[in-house]
Amino acid sequence: MKMKLKNILFLIISGIFTVLVINSCASQKAAVLEKSSAQLWGENCVRCHSTPSPASFNDVDWETVTMHMQIRANLTAAEATKIKEFMQSAN
Amino acid sequence: MLLITAVIGGYAQDYKPSQSQFMIRGYGHAGFSSFSSDGETESSFQGGTFAPIFLFKHSDKIMFEAELEFEIEDDEVAIGFEYANFNYIMNDYVTLRGGKFLLPFGTFMERLHPSWINRLSSTPLGYGHDGIAPSTGIGFELRGAAQVGSGKINYSLYTTNGPTLNTGVEDQEEAGILLFENSEDNNTNKAIGGRLGILPFSNSSVEVGLSFYSGKVGDKDVASYENVKANLFAYDFSFVKQLNGVKGIVDVKAQYNQSNVDDATYIEDDGAGPEEYTFDNSSNSYYTQVSYRPTMSGSDFIKNLEFVWRYSELNTPEDAEWAEESTQTAFGVNYWMSWRSVFKFTYQTTDTIGGHEGGKSSTDGVFVHWAIGF
Repeated sequence: MKMKLKNILFLIISGIFTVLVINSCASQKAAVLEKSSAQLWGENCVRCHSTPSPASFNDVDWETVTMHMQIRANLTAAEATKIKEFMQSAN
Repeated sequence: MLLITAVIGGYAQDYKPSQSQFMIRGYGHAGFSSFSSDGETESSFQGGTFAPIFLFKHSDKIMFEAELEFEIEDDEVAIGFEYANFNYIMNDYVTLRGGKFLLPFGTFMERLHPSWINRLSSTPLGYGHDGIAPSTGIGFELRGAAQVGSGKINYSLYTTNGPTLNTGVEDQEEAGILLFENSEDNNTNKAIGGRLGILPFSNSSVEVGLSFYSGKVGDKDVASYENVKANLFAYDFSFVKQLNGVKGIVDVKAQYNQSNVDDATYIEDDGAGPEEYTFDNSSNSYYTQVSYRPTMSGSDFIKNLEFVWRYSELNTPEDAEWAEESTQTAFGVNYWMSWRSVFKFTYQTTDTIGGHEGGKSSTDGVFVHWAIGF
């Protein structure tokens, strides 16, 4: 019974996964680069933690922090660059 | 006056930050915890945990990161070496990482476990000590992210020393458990693992991930264990979005972990002489967490509140000495003093059959924690 439930769960999740992959690849490319840097900051940081205040670090520190987050949180290079520029400009 | 202005102005004009930068970041927490089980209650103030993270940005492409963890255990300071690794950004899509690193097996241990990020004061069942999900590994990794269509994908592919099978020689009650902290490999086979994350929507609100981790776990010098393999996989899900309908941020997280270890023969001796036995060594755990923060409230006090619910479950092999079936429900109310400082109140109840205590037990826990990220 337990194995049956596991298999059903596996199938459901695999199905959702496949649909999401297809949807992701088939959609029009709405360029991330067209989004404002503030929007990217609001959408990405909050995926793990609250959105940071630009005043929390100085401009030089933001270089280090965003590089760290690009690697740890798997941000795209374009997102990391725009978020860094936003933090530095709003600081 | 003119001279001073000229000197300061000249300095400001000439000042250029160095390309290499060093930062100490990290997190810590302190608080109170209380556990009640079978009419007995234990409570203590907790002296705090201090976890400094060292970041050395060598250049725009190279970074070194390391984390230590200091905490008080049994009146002594325990020091944990969480990770230390170098990172080389090869191009926009590939970063090479080497050393000891947090494994992207799902997202909880890599992204969500620090006390200022974790919405509750405890970790879900299946993680940490006696957990079935790995947290760190020593080896090399390739990782990166890219935009695909209107969404994004991110990936990780790594090789490590891999887990080790506890054969029960030192503690027969732990025969069959996987040990994940291995500075030296016990065989020549390297484990491989990876995670594929998909964010199908352009607003990054949804992420679905699939992870695996596989390799031989037996000692190469012991014929009966040298070919024993372990295959682990995990699914993770995340939804985070500010919804106008509920005037706040809704955050849903979930992860399912499965561990399958090849059958092996272990030895138990309960006083009547050694006896061989084997069992189906499959374990699983999962958690689901929902939190809500009314960020669009007009009240400064209410918008800093957060309400959290989490359910988790752990099932280890029923014929193992460490057989366990546990369920846990946790509730939390948090107050955010800033984006990285939170006061957490957590209540949880855990029901267990088996485990270290054996039999059936029910434990209630209350935690009051202040966590800060810096």
